[in-house]
Amino acid sequence: MSQQNTDEQTTSEQDAGDGGSPDPTDDEMLIQTDVSESVDETSGTRRRETVVRAEHVDVWYDDNQALSDITMEIPEQSVTAMVGPSGCGKSTFLRCINRMNDLIDSARVEGDLYLRGKNVYDDDVDPVALRRRVGMVFQKPNPFPKSIYDNVTYGLEIQDKGGDYDEIVERSLKRAALWDEVNDQLDESGLELSGGQQQRLCIARAIAPDPEVLLMDEPASALDPVATSQIEDLIEELARDYTVVIVTHNMQQAARISDQTAVFLTGGELVEFDDTQKIFENPESQRVEDYITGKFG
Amino acid sequence: MATGSSQIEDFGQVSRTVGTIFRYLILAATLFGIVVLAALLVYVANDALQPATADPGWYLTFFLTLVAPTALVGWAVHRRGPAAFTFGSFLVGLLVVSLMFSGGVGLLVVDVVPPLVGFSFAIAIAVPTAISVFLTRYSHRIGFTSRLSATAFVFYLSLFGLPGPIGSPIGVPQVVPSLARAIQSIPVIPVDWMMVGTVLGGIGGAVVGSYVAGVRDARTGLVAGGLAFAATLVSAVVGPFVGLNPVPSTVLTAVTVLPTATYAWRGAFTEERRPAGLGFAAVVVGGALVGAAATSTLGFAGPQSWVDWQFLTSAHSGSAENAGLYPAIGGSILLMATVAALSFPIGVGAAVYLEEYAPDNRLTRFVDVNISNLAGVPSVVYGLLGLGVFVTYLGQAAGTVIVGGATLALLILPIVIISSREAIRSVPSNMRQASYGMGATRWQTVKNVILPEAFPGILTGTILALGRAIGETAPLIMIAAPNVVFSLPTALESKVSAMPLQVYAWSSLFASEDFYTKAVPAGVVVLLAVLLAMNSIAIVLRNRFERTG
Amino acid sequence: MSTDELEADLTRQTENSPRELLTRTFFFLCAGLSIVTTISIVVLLVTEAAKFFTITAPLMGVTGPTASIVDFLTGTTWQINSQEFGVLALVTSTLMITIGSAVIAIPLGVATAIYLSEYASTQARSVLKPALEILAGVPTVVYGFFALIYITPALGTVIPQIGTFNMLSASIVVGIMIIPMVASISEDAMSAVPDELRQAGYGMGATKFDVATGVVVPASLSGIFSSFILALSRAIGETMAVTIAAGSRAQFLNPLNPASYLEGALPMTAAMVQLLTGDITGGGLAYRSLFAIGLVLFVITLVMNIISDFVAQRYREEY
Repeated sequence: MSQQNTDEQTTSEQDAGDGGSPDPTDDEMLIQTDVSESVDETSGTRRRETVVRAEHVDVWYDDNQALSDITMEIPEQSVTAMVGPSGCGKSTFLRCINRMNDLIDSARVEGDLYLRGKNVYDDDVDPVALRRRVGMVFQKPNPFPKSIYDNVTYGLEIQDKGGDYDEIVERSLKRAALWDEVNDQLDESGLELSGGQQQRLCIARAIAPDPEVLLMDEPASALDPVATSQIEDLIEELARDYTVVIVTHNMQQAARISDQTAVFLTGGELVEFDDTQKIFENPESQRVEDYITGKFG
Repeated sequence: MATGSSQIEDFGQVSRTVGTIFRYLILAATLFGIVVLAALLVYVANDALQPATADPGWYLTFFLTLVAPTALVGWAVHRRGPAAFTFGSFLVGLLVVSLMFSGGVGLLVVDVVPPLVGFSFAIAIAVPTAISVFLTRYSHRIGFTSRLSATAFVFYLSLFGLPGPIGSPIGVPQVVPSLARAIQSIPVIPVDWMMVGTVLGGIGGAVVGSYVAGVRDARTGLVAGGLAFAATLVSAVVGPFVGLNPVPSTVLTAVTVLPTATYAWRGAFTEERRPAGLGFAAVVVGGALVGAAATSTLGFAGPQSWVDWQFLTSAHSGSAENAGLYPAIGGSILLMATVAALSFPIGVGAAVYLEEYAPDNRLTRFVDVNISNLAGVPSVVYGLLGLGVFVTYLGQAAGTVIVGGATLALLILPIVIISSREAIRSVPSNMRQASYGMGATRWQTVKNVILPEAFPGILTGTILALGRAIGETAPLIMIAAPNVVFSLPTALESKVSAMPLQVYAWSSLFASEDFYTKAVPAGVVVLLAVLLAMNSIAIVLRNRFERTG
Repeated sequence: MSTDELEADLTRQTENSPRELLTRTFFFLCAGLSIVTTISIVVLLVTEAAKFFTITAPLMGVTGPTASIVDFLTGTTWQINSQEFGVLALVTSTLMITIGSAVIAIPLGVATAIYLSEYASTQARSVLKPALEILAGVPTVVYGFFALIYITPALGTVIPQIGTFNMLSASIVVGIMIIPMVASISEDAMSAVPDELRQAGYGMGATKFDVATGVVVPASLSGIFSSFILALSRAIGETMAVTIAAGSRAQFLNPLNPASYLEGALPMTAAMVQLLTGDITGGGLAYRSLFAIGLVLFVITLVMNIISDFVAQRYREEY
């Protein structure tokens, strides 16, 4: 049950670099360290551990089934995109991973969802503790009406974590590519930033307590193109350290930034889940092909 | 250019006569109540203030020094920038309201709380508060339970000593005196004004300091707070030279001068930069002062108003000319303090439970319906509740501050709950999502996100509810509050009167032409002035809240 | 991180930490206080009133004078000194205040609501609404004084036979006091009427008057009705204005005869105040009669509130 799941998902080196990483040497170093840990000696391909594994997950809102029988495995340190038409349940699945659906009275989740081998829907799991390991970035930027500094340290405060807050704030903001823009106004309200800056602040806030998984629910859909491309670059950077799961309705975005893509179609079913390249170039299912070529959806 | 034979030459006219008449009729209906009330207010103000008794020269002087310059400068400032005009008007309003407040605080400081007692309790609360703030800094190293018990212990030690009220029933003698008691037993006690000045200046300095720190930075805040504290103490020394006793002048400085000056500084010299508004306010205040000086030197008599210093500072008397409202004002202040202290935490707590914690089940819905029904229960029935439960069953003495305050608190509790729920509901749900998404618990979300966001709305609702409580008479009659009290209540167990109760007593028990035309109108005007001040604070808060929210 | 560590971390149960339990319990107790209040009111009124009536007094272990429940509910004389407790004399007086204030508040309140919801500009609304709120915010003791000192003499110039204490001026001030309540609840109901209905009316060539009276008012009728009930329940419970202006002599008047409004009488709430301010010569019995009246008052207002809730709920479901 709680045994570590070995990986079946293999990703070639090209795939990892395919997202257009600006700095190839960095990328190689990263792969080097990865390789040292998880190269399968016999095949020579790099294996990534599964972080999130869903088994037969169903979600109902009252009597309406929002997700049916979702089974998938999300590997670590990669970007996994969930795409599909609106109402297909991709956001619902995202919210299953950190149990945000618990906050909706009418929602009911069945099936098993493992985070590193622990079923998060076990009775003894505290959703609050789970959410401290699974960060989330929402569709609309939602910084707190507090200073930039306090926004970033919020997660540390609520977890009663010690440490050098100044240093963590600087590191998180740098990682969120926001430090250069705000380092002289940390005491000002997070609401005074532009939309794109606010979203990067939300990302900084989410990564400051160093979560295991980072969930992003259409993080760029409320932003202009420039801010969107900044966020996309950022996501690829983040995937070096975090397991990023992103929901998007934008096909091109998924193709640009993700390593794996899951296609949800109406009725809450997962139609296909594979390497992004494969999904976009040679999908198995005709429906997926129709969808990504824009025939419907 | 179709020229068909059936071309329409004219659409005709649908008669609007009925509609127009209807429109003006309902406008008249809308204005009816407002106009009637306005007329009644003019009558009562006329009776109370007696404007006809003033010298024409008095009016002329004030017109020249106050009205004309205010109108001229106001018009000029408004033309240049409405924002500056608004700021100037708010500044004058703040000055007036805070003057009323300093009257209330002065009453408490001079006649209710002895300076030494106030000083010792202020210290006894400040010290453990500082300790608990210090402990919170290290929250990640010390567990919550030990922190809570440590905080509770230092508060208990400081206020009650050891073993305190827990030990006394079983006969354990007091081993360690409380901090408050210890301070009170110091052989050399400072002068009254020093103690009052330290307490008020400390509070004022802290408030001014944190406000300024919010506008600018921490350093400026610290300096401003220090200045405010020093100013309060200095005013006690300077006061006697301008004819004020040291204690009242510290009160005046801390409650009126500090907030007004801080607001003036912010509006005129920070990023908003509206010095024109400051000029307008200066013209109004200066005009009033010059007018007062001019009329007294020229010998023009003002109106023989019944609302005068004597009315505000003396107790009831058998003759309407000598009757005063002082004990009733003090009673109302103490009652309101009790009501606020009881209804605010309980009302907000209930609202938080219902909005953030309660599961959607039958019990919750029942509580919901129950609260809206409680809001419709007549106030006289709440009075019966106070009489039956607090007096008869719990054995409290009838008509005391604590019984009256608790009864009124129960009365306004549904209103506080309903308005607080509305404020909490208006906190955007994405704030909640963000907080829960970070892994915050419910309490952390409530404390860090929901309460700070909803606070202005909650405060507005509470002030409006207090406005309702301050005008209530029937519950106080029911709990047998005395109609006539000659001295201020000095403890929670003292008998208490209140402004509306005094007005009722004068208009029913002392019914006579004399009281009807002198004391009662004066009492009504004072009561309405206090209500107006409270409501204007609430409305200003609400507007500010709606603009940002 | 090993699986065991992860499991320990994920199963920490922060909801049951002392801090969460403590705060949650505090908030729950605060909300529970409202139920305690209601129960206290009901229990107190019922037990004290039970001590008042001959039938129930022995159950409460009360000896001494009691009053017959039949006499209480059907008697028309309220005379404490002669131990006559006929609540009808008080109830009819309350009814008179209710009718009188309804005559004022209902037409004015509904007209105000129509004006605010259909005709007034945003600017006019922003001035009129706070002004109307002031009507409800003036303390009732002040209204009572106004009725006694200004309105009654003013009426006296037109109707010379009016008494110093009379139901007419009390009704007028109570009516003015409850106008905002009728107006604001009715206006909410009218604003809830969907714009499509109005558009449909205008599309048919209706004038603004036709739409306001023919479409909006009928569509919001249940909301308007619920505002009447709520406002009248407020008028019934109104105390100080009627105590000061309506007098202190209980008498049984015909509420439908306009002439009886020129006389003074003693509504229920005023009787309660009188019982506590005057000498309670009836001793324990008079004290207990207080709770009997209180119970009648509480039941009437509660029933009206529940009806108003029920009616209001129906209109909310319509859209």
